Amino acid sequence: MIRLEGVCKTFDRPVLSDVDLVVPESCLFGLIGPGASGKSLLLRMITGLMRPDSGKVTVAGNDVLAMGDMQLHEYRKGIGMLFQNNALFDFMTVAENIAFPLRRLFHLPESEIAERVAERLSRVDLPGFESRLPAGLSGGQKKRVGVARATVTRAPIVLYDEPAAGLDPVTSQKIFDLLRAEQRAANATVIMVSSDLDRLLTVTDRVGMMLDGRLIFVGTTDEARNAADPRVYQFVHGNVDGPL
Amino acid sequence: MTVSTEPTVRDLQRSRSALAGALGRLFLDLLETARDLYRVFVLTLYYSVRGEGNRPAFFRQMYEIGNRSLGFLSIVMGFIGMILVYQGGLQTQRVVPDLSLLGATFLQLLVRDLAASICALMLATRVGAGIAAEIGSMVVTEQVDALRMCATDPIDYLIRPRFLACLSMFAALVVLAAGVAFLAGMWTAHAFFGINPRTFANVSMVSVGDLTIGLTKCVAYGAAIPVISGYCGLTAFGGSEGVGAATTRAVVNSSLAVIILNFVISGAGYLAFG
Amino acid sequence: MSAETSSASSPAFAGLAQRANEWLGVVGGFGVLLVEILRRTFRRDFDRSEFLRNLYRMGIKSMPIVTVTALFTGGIMVIQAAPIVQRYGAYGLLGWGAGFGTLREIAPLLTALMINGRVGANNTAELGTMAVTEQIDALRALAIDPIGFLVAPRFLAIVTTLFLSTIFSDALALVGAAYAGLGFLGVEPAVFYRGLTTGLLGFGDVAHGLEKSVVFGVVIGLSSCHFGLSTKGGAPGVGRSVNSTVVASAAGIFVLDYLLSFALS
Repeated sequence: MIRLEGVCKTFDRPVLSDVDLVVPESCLFGLIGPGASGKSLLLRMITGLMRPDSGKVTVAGNDVLAMGDMQLHEYRKGIGMLFQNNALFDFMTVAENIAFPLRRLFHLPESEIAERVAERLSRVDLPGFESRLPAGLSGGQKKRVGVARATVTRAPIVLYDEPAAGLDPVTSQKIFDLLRAEQRAANATVIMVSSDLDRLLTVTDRVGMMLDGRLIFVGTTDEARNAADPRVYQFVHGNVDGPL
Repeated sequence: MTVSTEPTVRDLQRSRSALAGALGRLFLDLLETARDLYRVFVLTLYYSVRGEGNRPAFFRQMYEIGNRSLGFLSIVMGFIGMILVYQGGLQTQRVVPDLSLLGATFLQLLVRDLAASICALMLATRVGAGIAAEIGSMVVTEQVDALRMCATDPIDYLIRPRFLACLSMFAALVVLAAGVAFLAGMWTAHAFFGINPRTFANVSMVSVGDLTIGLTKCVAYGAAIPVISGYCGLTAFGGSEGVGAATTRAVVNSSLAVIILNFVISGAGYLAFG
Repeated sequence: MSAETSSASSPAFAGLAQRANEWLGVVGGFGVLLVEILRRTFRRDFDRSEFLRNLYRMGIKSMPIVTVTALFTGGIMVIQAAPIVQRYGAYGLLGWGAGFGTLREIAPLLTALMINGRVGANNTAELGTMAVTEQIDALRALAIDPIGFLVAPRFLAIVTTLFLSTIFSDALALVGAAYAGLGFLGVEPAVFYRGLTTGLLGFGDVAHGLEKSVVFGVVIGLSSCHFGLSTKGGAPGVGRSVNSTVVASAAGIFVLDYLLSFALS
């Protein structure tokens, strides 16, 4: 379970204000909101890549902010992350990219690593791509390699930052369906940030909306679709008229 | 409602304290940067002994720093040798007609200072820019965050191989560069002042103290450049502009560090060896 | 990014020839750019406010670097001259000894190298970012000449900045040398300055250094604008361009320093 309490962060101006969020176990949680509302920052708080100015971040009972470097390493064994721009290591092949967390976090034997990499690649529909370089892949292919790398460790928590950005509609839906199937299979707790609301809401259990650094709504997917708050309603349905 | 446009005492106080505030902030920023830089340096040393590092990157960096710099350094050091001997010869001729010690003095200057320092300045631009550009692009494309998520410290994985490669290659490059400069100087002395190459090749003025100072500079520069450039790369932010800014910072700060270290080591050497 | 066109018989030679070809291309690019800039300068066809704005920014940015470099360089010159001065007891000549090398060679050279790193690299980064985000194309689409509007003012600002910085640097280096002379050799600053002006050192030596600084400015300006404009490939491309300009300018500075030392003496 992921819990944030009173998380605040200021750069030149406040970017996160008093965020309280609870993501239950085995939930596929969608995080939505306009650009620059703090969604990616929230993900970084959970991974410990960024520290809030105040507030608490508790994941599976552990206080993330109290962790030192060694403990953070241990902690990150249990998290898989897909970055907004994939963040594939461009000096490594596809296979080396996917194998990297396995090698660094778990020190598994080579045969098992090769097996898991091949399994992941076939799962994301890229069989035989092991020795390709990221520079030679299309946007959709890079995304899928990113998904493979995020899920190869079978971590109990997975964070996806814009998993379908810049993809065509068919590929987008395939990715969302794939991520949903992965979450069910591993019974993982997943937070997904996306601007593609229609498709996102087809796979989420619960939804949270951020606006100007504040979390203004948390509830089930249906509650989001019929929200009382006019801002949430407008955003979810993509209407032009309204308070936003 | 009328507002007075005369500067009040309060305005003057505010502008003075604004200046003090700005200076204070600058000083605190410098202090914080120095502290971060020191931390990176200590961690680099720690990982050099205890870390996992990145062997393929180490060899690639040795090639990148060593082999790829050879042409550039040779050209520069060749020209330096020619310029210095030419200017030095002119200068000495104005005062003293005897040029027989020109080669000896030149060699001593090379060993004690010039070979290491000029190489360092050149590498600060070439290698410093390269390191900061590579690491900086990785930072702004979130690859460094991805490394952290896989329990890999970027200082161990990215800076350590470059640090070790630079340290090992730098001394070799300096020796080679000194050789090129000396030969170029020898040719210039012969061509413009008619000095016999055998007279020019005179090691009598190079002492143990000079060698020590030169070696200390090699080690100091070879350590400073990759650590400073790597730090500048790691602190990049903001897309392509950020990478450019980080590269600029790396070149400037590495060059400044070389100049300041040069002054400190030369001064200490002078006080110790005379 | 070099193509693997090595022939089986002499791959080393092919590689060398390819490098030479690349560098000739770069020098040619400089030449073309220089002609374009000069044409607009003589027709007064460049944006004056951009020139002043860049001049101000570059001056401010380089002030601290030039100051620190000059002061320490003056000190280093004295430390290097110190053993010789002590051996011959020629304390009165310290001003001349340190001053000669500084004014003619070291100050213009080091100032150029530092400005290359600070202003040149920065300029390439800015132009490079504009290139990869298609702002240069946008200017052309608005019928604004990018050379006249962006490039020529920056080029002129770089040359002017380097010239002024060298003057500043000459003065500061002598100050640094004077105090180093006091600290390490016990030579009074008054004696130092007398040594400077005894007649062995003349205005000609200062002018020699300043003429060099103008040429260095041209090299840095051309290099940084050329590599900035021809940047391709996103953020890594900008990093690569900055790398290239810094290296090319440094090499150019040294080569021209050598040629000028002959031509001007």
